[in-house]
Amino acid sequence: MPDTSSRILVPVGESSTFRNTVAYAVREARRIAAETGEESTVHFVYPVRWQLVDESERSAADAVADTLERARVWANDDLDYDDDGDLAAEDVSVSIETAVVGEDRYLFSPNDFAEVLLEYARDRGLDRIVLDPEYQPGGSAPMLQPLEFELARSGLVVEEAPVDRVVERGRLPSRANVSKALAMFGVSFGFYLLLAGVFDTFNLVTGAVSAGVVTAVFARISFVNTPSVTGTAARIARFLLYVPYLLWEIVKANFSVAYIILHPDLPIDPEMQRYRAAIWGDLSVTTLANSITLTPGTLTVDMDRDSLIIHSLTGSARDGLAGGSLERAVRFVFYGRSAARIPTPAERGTIASWTDDDQTDGDE
Amino acid sequence: MTPLEYLIVGLVLAGVFFSFVAVVGIIRLPDLYTRAHATSKSDTLGTVLSLGGIALLFGAEVSAVKTVLLLLFMLITNPTAAHAIARAAHDQGIEPWTASDEEGD
Repeated sequence: MPDTSSRILVPVGESSTFRNTVAYAVREARRIAAETGEESTVHFVYPVRWQLVDESERSAADAVADTLERARVWANDDLDYDDDGDLAAEDVSVSIETAVVGEDRYLFSPNDFAEVLLEYARDRGLDRIVLDPEYQPGGSAPMLQPLEFELARSGLVVEEAPVDRVVERGRLPSRANVSKALAMFGVSFGFYLLLAGVFDTFNLVTGAVSAGVVTAVFARISFVNTPSVTGTAARIARFLLYVPYLLWEIVKANFSVAYIILHPDLPIDPEMQRYRAAIWGDLSVTTLANSITLTPGTLTVDMDRDSLIIHSLTGSARDGLAGGSLERAVRFVFYGRSAARIPTPAERGTIASWTDDDQTDGDE
Repeated sequence: MTPLEYLIVGLVLAGVFFSFVAVVGIIRLPDLYTRAHATSKSDTLGTVLSLGGIALLFGAEVSAVKTVLLLLFMLITNPTAAHAIARAAHDQGIEPWTASDEEGD
């Protein structure tokens, strides 16, 4: 019987039902251990969405460690007492493990999360997964159902912990707050007036109404994190430095492409490459991917888990990419000056030519 | 003609040139991926240069600001579109053309 399996994996993250999920998993493990007399084990696993390379991400790493530590403490508390609050029998053996997974890749889709979790489960011989019903690994995007579906395809037993939920539904991607609303209102109102071009009463009133509607609808969706004025201002300032650099690169790109296209021999040597950029986060990866597409002889084809698949037109374009100047520039814009000093992709060995053998087994 | 008019004509001519390069590229290059290079780069610069000339022609007006906004959106959406097309091809398993394919012809 699969649901009597006592080797349990619990993906963890901050949620309102985290505590109860821990309790349920431990209760199950203990019940089965008591029935079968075998040792059971519960693994609390935290799939992280980013890679811990920057100093600025240290606090995030601490938060992960803190969450796992809490899971361990709670689980040990639950082990000491049984359901009636009495001290538990000695002969029940349940081991508790915690782990962080996914640091070495860029987790984005439910598929990615399922893959690292299943990999972990396979390595440790775990065959039952208990999901927190409020588990939101994707941050803003709801992904419990697709994740559950992906996990269930593996043949392991997957269940949602039957815990009482404090909040049933109605949680949009992120909680609205005043600064998000203000930022949204400011941006939409400013844009409206810019397009209107005339600051008369009519435009001011209609603009305020439109911006109000936009804010009411989108303030919760458009910003995942609360925008900070200084952080955003610094980014915009650095972005303004980046634009002339990018424009210059684009002009160079065009002359080299124009030369190649108009050359009678059409001197091209295309190749696909896999490139693990040290850039994480939706907006910054988009910026890098678009910049790569706009600059000499390189085109972003796909974002494949942790890496970009890039098609390059010529050998010199590949050398330019391996030099990593674009990556540094994007890191400068999004992470600040100190983050821009990193080894080139060639030195880090994160760029390689891409062949069919690299097709991951997850694709069908 | 004033120097500004020369600049405008120069920008528009350069824009036409790069748009022309994009068209030639689409005809001459061997496969979808390489053609996407032509459309994403040359076409973007061609459009941006032409729109830049138009913005200068409007002068200090709201229309110029709108043209610059249009230009920025082109700059963002063009590579995104090229990426979407290339990605769709990649998902379909279309093999990129390589220099060794040429010997077979």
